[in-house]
Amino acid sequence: MNAILSIAKTTIGEAIRRKVLLIILLIGVLFLVIAPGLNVLSARSSFAVLISFTLGVIQLTGAVIAIVLTVYLIPNEIERRTIYTILCKPVHRWQFVLGKYFGAVGALGLMMLLMTGILLLVFKIMQPTATFDVLGEIARGPVFFFIQMSILAAVAMCFSVFASPIVNFFLSGGVFMVGTLFSPVFQDLANNQNLAGPVKMAATAIHTILPNFAQYNIQNPIINQGVTIQSEQLYYVGLLGYAVMYIAGLLIGAILIFDRREV
Amino acid sequence: MSLAIETNQLTKTYKTRAGQVSVVKNLDLQVERGEIFGFLGPNGAGKTTTIKILLGIIYGTSGWAKVLGEEAGDINVHKKISYLPEKPYYYEHMTGMEIMQFYASLFGIKDKAQCERLLQRVNLGMDMNRPISQYSKGMQQRVGLAQSLLNDPELLFLDEPTGGLDPIAHIEIRDLILKFREEGRTVFISSHELSDVERICDRVAIINKGELVHQGRLEDLLAGGRIEITASGVTQALADKFRSDDVLVSFKGDRLIVDMPDSDSPNEMLDSIRSEKGSVVSVIPRRKRLEDLFLESVRSDNQAKGRVLNKMSDDHNDPKPSAEEETEVGS
Ligand SMILES: Nc1ncnc2c1ncn2[C@@H]1O[C@H](COP(=O)(O)OP(=O)(O)O)[C@@H](O)[C@H]1O
Ligand SMILES: [Mg+2]
Repeated sequence: MNAILSIAKTTIGEAIRRKVLLIILLIGVLFLVIAPGLNVLSARSSFAVLISFTLGVIQLTGAVIAIVLTVYLIPNEIERRTIYTILCKPVHRWQFVLGKYFGAVGALGLMMLLMTGILLLVFKIMQPTATFDVLGEIARGPVFFFIQMSILAAVAMCFSVFASPIVNFFLSGGVFMVGTLFSPVFQDLANNQNLAGPVKMAATAIHTILPNFAQYNIQNPIINQGVTIQSEQLYYVGLLGYAVMYIAGLLIGAILIFDRREV
Repeated sequence: MSLAIETNQLTKTYKTRAGQVSVVKNLDLQVERGEIFGFLGPNGAGKTTTIKILLGIIYGTSGWAKVLGEEAGDINVHKKISYLPEKPYYYEHMTGMEIMQFYASLFGIKDKAQCERLLQRVNLGMDMNRPISQYSKGMQQRVGLAQSLLNDPELLFLDEPTGGLDPIAHIEIRDLILKFREEGRTVFISSHELSDVERICDRVAIINKGELVHQGRLEDLLAGGRIEITASGVTQALADKFRSDDVLVSFKGDRLIVDMPDSDSPNEMLDSIRSEKGSVVSVIPRRKRLEDLFLESVRSDNQAKGRVLNKMSDDHNDPKPSAEEETEVGS
């Protein structure tokens, strides 16, 4: 446990100093800050548009950071040989993989926290009368984005034990895009009673294998159209449970591959 | 008690675009406990590969390797050994002290005072709160040695520990390594810089192209030195009397130079020079240097296998420009 935490802490320390990530973060923050200005200029200026735009910025920035951060984690360790000084100690390889992953998630969390803070600040300035309830409502979006990005980081981590960073970048990016854009489509197909068996099975298979990123866009009413929510809390717990299972599966895969890999 | 390190017919084969290459071939090593063992060979000989197998970072293709009596890579063995990689790099944002605490935590050590003590031991007491990015190469190497002592290891693997350091840093590192032996540790040190190793190793193995060409006590390997006698006022006739199969005699101006094996005593020769009214200018014992042995071994090994010494460096650059770098980045 000690080893995992130490490796995670070091990984966070390194990640929050990486210039590429800071630049991406800066661009995201910049968009958040100028969003109200853009909103005023646009024709259909409205609060709803502003919210959906700023949340989109946080999601996209988060996704790019998650991928760029994670694809280099293990390759960099190997290139700089720091991995050797760690693996020659009484540290299991699974501890190393988990430490790296939790470090990535930690750094990602910090960066998304910063963006969320700035988002709330912008809203408070735009609408000085906004209550904590309203702000809390807005903050819910980024919380689920964070869970979404944790899955994405696990996807990238899993690829990173066998793919080069560049290949991994496109693989993970592709999985994220498909999982975000098409998950609802496959879900519909899988649930459609009128379809032929094989098509349904294929749709179900894809729907099960691909992480369903879309369901974490909780503020998008179009995506969550079909879902009738009995209990909001239960629904959120379900989302969290799905993420935990999914991440666990991906990390176990990564560890199994990494365990016999030569580094 | 078991040997510190033992390998048996250890072989490591890589599949490359050019086909199968064995970078370690049927290697038999025996390292005794408590000795400083020099693992020598030119660049690309397979030293780092062997060390990585001994640590369980990569795996041998055939043969076996044992470290402290256990199979290489055993996690319990890792508690008792430590490793300083070739050209190491440490997380640059951390200070020397933070680096030490990081590695200490990997052993479950929480004692901050111990980290401090070890940093002081390698003369970094004053600099321990500066970030690593401000450290010189020598200082970084000393942090490396300090962290390698955290678990009070029985056995240390040092891969080219003086590589790329200036002469003063060389001496500092060498003195630290000598202390390790005094403390009863076994040190396995790889190097292609012989001057360092020569003064500190008890035994050495020389490998070339993955194969063992020599292994033994340094004294035995270096036995068979020569003595050079220079004298003046010696007649040609006397000089001819000295000449034999193993004794080289030559004149440089009016000075006689005799080059003889140190297994013979020079007394007789010195007496006859003096009795003939010659005068002895100097008597210099020339111990065989490790460098000679090394070059000799590598050269004859290459010749035996139809390779040319000069080609060694080309071999390295030719088929794959940065074979070594490629290795590090992963396969
Ligand atoms: N993963 C690999 N694939 C192919 N060749 C490799 C790999 N790793 C090392 N080598 C080759 O093995 C040889 C020995 O390398 P190494 O053990 O680093 O030598 P040394 O440490 O003695 O300089 C080199 O020629 C190197 O190019
Ligand atoms: Mg090497």
